[in-house]
Amino acid sequence: MLERRSIHNIDWLLAFSVLAIAAIGAGMVYSATVGGPLSGLAGKQAVYLLIGLLALVLAVSIDYHTLSELSPILYGTSVVLLIYLLFFGRAIANTRGWLELGPVNFQPAEMAKVTTLLALSSFMSRRRTAELGFSNMTSILAIVGLPVLLIARQPDLGTALTFLPLIAVAAFLGGIRVRTIAILVLIPILALPLLWNHYLQAYQKVRVLTFLDPARDPKGAGYQVLQSKIAVGSGGLVGKGFLEGTQGQLNFLPAQHTDFIFALLAEERGFLGSMIVLSLYFVVIYRCIAIARSARDRLGVFLAMGMVALFACQVLINIGVVVGLMPTTGVPLPLMSYGGSSLISSLAGMGLVLNVWMRRLVN
Amino acid sequence: MPWDYRSSKDFKDFYEERRLHRRITFIFVLLAGLFLSYLSNLWYLQVVNGENYRRLADNNRLRQVVLNPLRGTILDRAGRPIVRNRLSFNVLLDREKVIDREGIIRTLSRVLNLPEETIRDRIARYKNRPVFEPVIVKEDVDLSEAAYLESRRLELPEISVAVEPKRSYEQGELAAHALGYVGEISETQLSKPRYAGFQLGDVVGKAGLESFYDGDLTGQKGWKQMIVNSLGREIRELPVGRRPVSGNSLRLTIDLDLQRELEEAFADKGGSAVFLDPDSGEILALVSRPAFDPNIFARRFSAAEWGSLINSPAHPLQNRAIQSKFAPGSVFKIVLAVAALESGKAGPGRTDSCPGYAYIYGRKFLCHQEGGHGTIAMVEAIKKSCNVYFYHLGRDLGIGLISQWAHNLGFGSRTGIDLLHEEAGTVPDEEWKRRTRKEPWYPGETISVSIGQGALEVTPIQMASFAAAIGNGGVFYRPFLLKSREVRDGVEEAERAGEVVRRIHLKPSTLQVVKQAMWEVVNQGGTGTRAMIPGKDVCGKTGTAQVVKASAGVKSEKLAESIRDNAWFVGFAPRDRPRIAFAVFVERGGHGGEAAAPIAQRVMLKFFEKQEHHEEPAQIARTAQHP
Repeated sequence: MLERRSIHNIDWLLAFSVLAIAAIGAGMVYSATVGGPLSGLAGKQAVYLLIGLLALVLAVSIDYHTLSELSPILYGTSVVLLIYLLFFGRAIANTRGWLELGPVNFQPAEMAKVTTLLALSSFMSRRRTAELGFSNMTSILAIVGLPVLLIARQPDLGTALTFLPLIAVAAFLGGIRVRTIAILVLIPILALPLLWNHYLQAYQKVRVLTFLDPARDPKGAGYQVLQSKIAVGSGGLVGKGFLEGTQGQLNFLPAQHTDFIFALLAEERGFLGSMIVLSLYFVVIYRCIAIARSARDRLGVFLAMGMVALFACQVLINIGVVVGLMPTTGVPLPLMSYGGSSLISSLAGMGLVLNVWMRRLVN
Repeated sequence: MPWDYRSSKDFKDFYEERRLHRRITFIFVLLAGLFLSYLSNLWYLQVVNGENYRRLADNNRLRQVVLNPLRGTILDRAGRPIVRNRLSFNVLLDREKVIDREGIIRTLSRVLNLPEETIRDRIARYKNRPVFEPVIVKEDVDLSEAAYLESRRLELPEISVAVEPKRSYEQGELAAHALGYVGEISETQLSKPRYAGFQLGDVVGKAGLESFYDGDLTGQKGWKQMIVNSLGREIRELPVGRRPVSGNSLRLTIDLDLQRELEEAFADKGGSAVFLDPDSGEILALVSRPAFDPNIFARRFSAAEWGSLINSPAHPLQNRAIQSKFAPGSVFKIVLAVAALESGKAGPGRTDSCPGYAYIYGRKFLCHQEGGHGTIAMVEAIKKSCNVYFYHLGRDLGIGLISQWAHNLGFGSRTGIDLLHEEAGTVPDEEWKRRTRKEPWYPGETISVSIGQGALEVTPIQMASFAAAIGNGGVFYRPFLLKSREVRDGVEEAERAGEVVRRIHLKPSTLQVVKQAMWEVVNQGGTGTRAMIPGKDVCGKTGTAQVVKASAGVKSEKLAESIRDNAWFVGFAPRDRPRIAFAVFVERGGHGGEAAAPIAQRVMLKFFEKQEHHEEPAQIARTAQHP
């Protein structure tokens, strides 16, 4: 459990950055929803933030080695929940990703991110070979692939995609050869036509095509990207001011309290605001990497780096969509987008990284 | 196998450790690079291109809404409204709020008494319009329907009633051609400098006074700037903009009572009539038949109704008073008399003998009176409308003199009435024949022209103007319909005075002969007896213009209607100080004395009755000196 000396070993810079982003997020959720039909959401987000902080404290309190031993149970639970959803989940916005627990809904997929990270790190830390062989690679693919497939079946392709960096980081740090990487990069490229013709649904094809050429369908799929870019660009250097963003306040922005919250921030706070938030995200990632470097064992390294992969990837995808560098995927911005499950899982994940830092010194 | 230091565990750990750290560093550099590129992309979007995006954002949220001014109203000379803007109620369907589409269509069909199919069609028409734009299901519903729907706003949230100002011609077909109508601006109009600042969809005058005085009636557009949300819904108005300025009201010279009397007198006959004040040119009543209801143009107009007006063989949209040219028939004999007296070619004492026909240039020309008029002098020849007398007089005058006097008396040129598309008519002579037909003038044609036939063409407004000039002693006023404009709220500009276009100096003796003859036409058993009003000394001249040659000498009622003669009756009253002058033309009316004279009589009766009851303020002070 939490010992006194550990408190002194909290990485305060990381903790502060994480909380600052979450607080800014709650403020932006308020701006995105005030005066509209969703005006209660900012209050809810504050409650989720408190719950998330509890999850963080919990994740810090228990030695990560203990958590690693519990990981099969935690991972198993998530998988069972995901399977359950496919059969009994309630469809919200066409995906069966929500579990109803009395008054609240939560997304097991978000919980699965943290449990998969734990399970994968446990596996990687127990490996004894220097080279990443075929059987190990298969195990990595299995551990991550199982929740990914289950989530993709909901169907929630955006969330499923965010797991993939876990595979990449595990393989890369696990010692995969550069030659193998090249092959692994080639396979998806060759598989693209197959994916395009047999797996992608029509709306997803439209999104990709629209991304490649936003003018294709300015009133449809391209509309979101265009309006988002207008919001970001029109913020200028210092922004239009809190609650003064016309794109956001007049609802030109799609999903402005969830996936496009960064666009609202960029509109109301300008380049300075976007730069501050982007810098905070970078500080978080930088600290996580520093913690990975100073971890006392492989488990710590993989936990911290896995979290970097999950976190950085979501941040880059989300902001990439907002500024029109990527096709719309529906990935929330960690710590900022409205949504309890995402916020709590991000904070719990950060708790694990803080845990690694706190216990970096071998007794 | 020799010992290899690389197989020692220490080295392996060290080697692996180094590799791990190298790869972590690689990831860090990769992420740092990505974050930097994102930051530079944000810089490019927000700082470099910020202005452009801000403009786009403004285009998104700011909508300039044009505020259309109310069109000016049109009043009669006594200030009674003829054309107004009334509030009409349109039933709108908000497609965003529709839940049970079929149910709402059924309800609307029941309440509005419209077939369900019609409603479906109207909704379908909006398929490609933004969904917040309401569908106009039915326009101009009556108040009870509007009230019924308004009172059920809670049950039927998707239905609303909107108020829209509509041009309303209070009297229906009355004076339709003078008033004209409004409609959406055409591409052709848009290209004219006069319509600068107009856009498609704007309502402008299309004909009649609505078109001639469009600039006065239109007013000035205003605008307001609205903040709209992404659905185009108006959220808030910005404190900028300009209020629209309503168009000026017009007060006409038309007297509603006389106009109504004239319309009723015409009943279902075709033709045209103009009554005016011979001392100013003010038009008191103007009719063209068949007419149309200008109100149909104020509606969102169905192609079928439009087509039926355009393609009707009776040409109801044509203003016959100024656009239709007819042979003047025997009315033209007055022109010959004036030409003879003024040129000295013949005096009032010139007599002729009429056996009912005349042989001139080897051809036989008939008089309308079988057996003839016997020996006859000028005044009686006019009174009885003897053709033979005027055949000979015309022959003696020659076409040059006849056409010169026709021009002097206002024929062959526009009167300048304040309506568009006035026709000038035709006064034929040798030069005209050469120019238009490349042929010489045949003397026989002079004979036809002498009794107002042949290539001679006049308009009813020219005839009325001519009658007024004879009545007032030779002054030609420009006939006009606009008495005064309202320049500001309720403030009128000075009434327009008559504008003298031309004066011809006629000898008093000429005037006396002509007036005497015209007086006898009505009051001494002449052809215009039916226009007589005891004590009012009505003067007039009938005309019966042939549509086909065969009609000469045949009773008009014996002819098929399509080839019956056109009937004219022009004149003025009272004889010595005329207050009213007129031209009545009845298409296919047969004899002027039978068809047209009673119409003139009826309107004059009304006119004098009003004068006696002082319904009209005392005659307007005249600026024009009476000769």
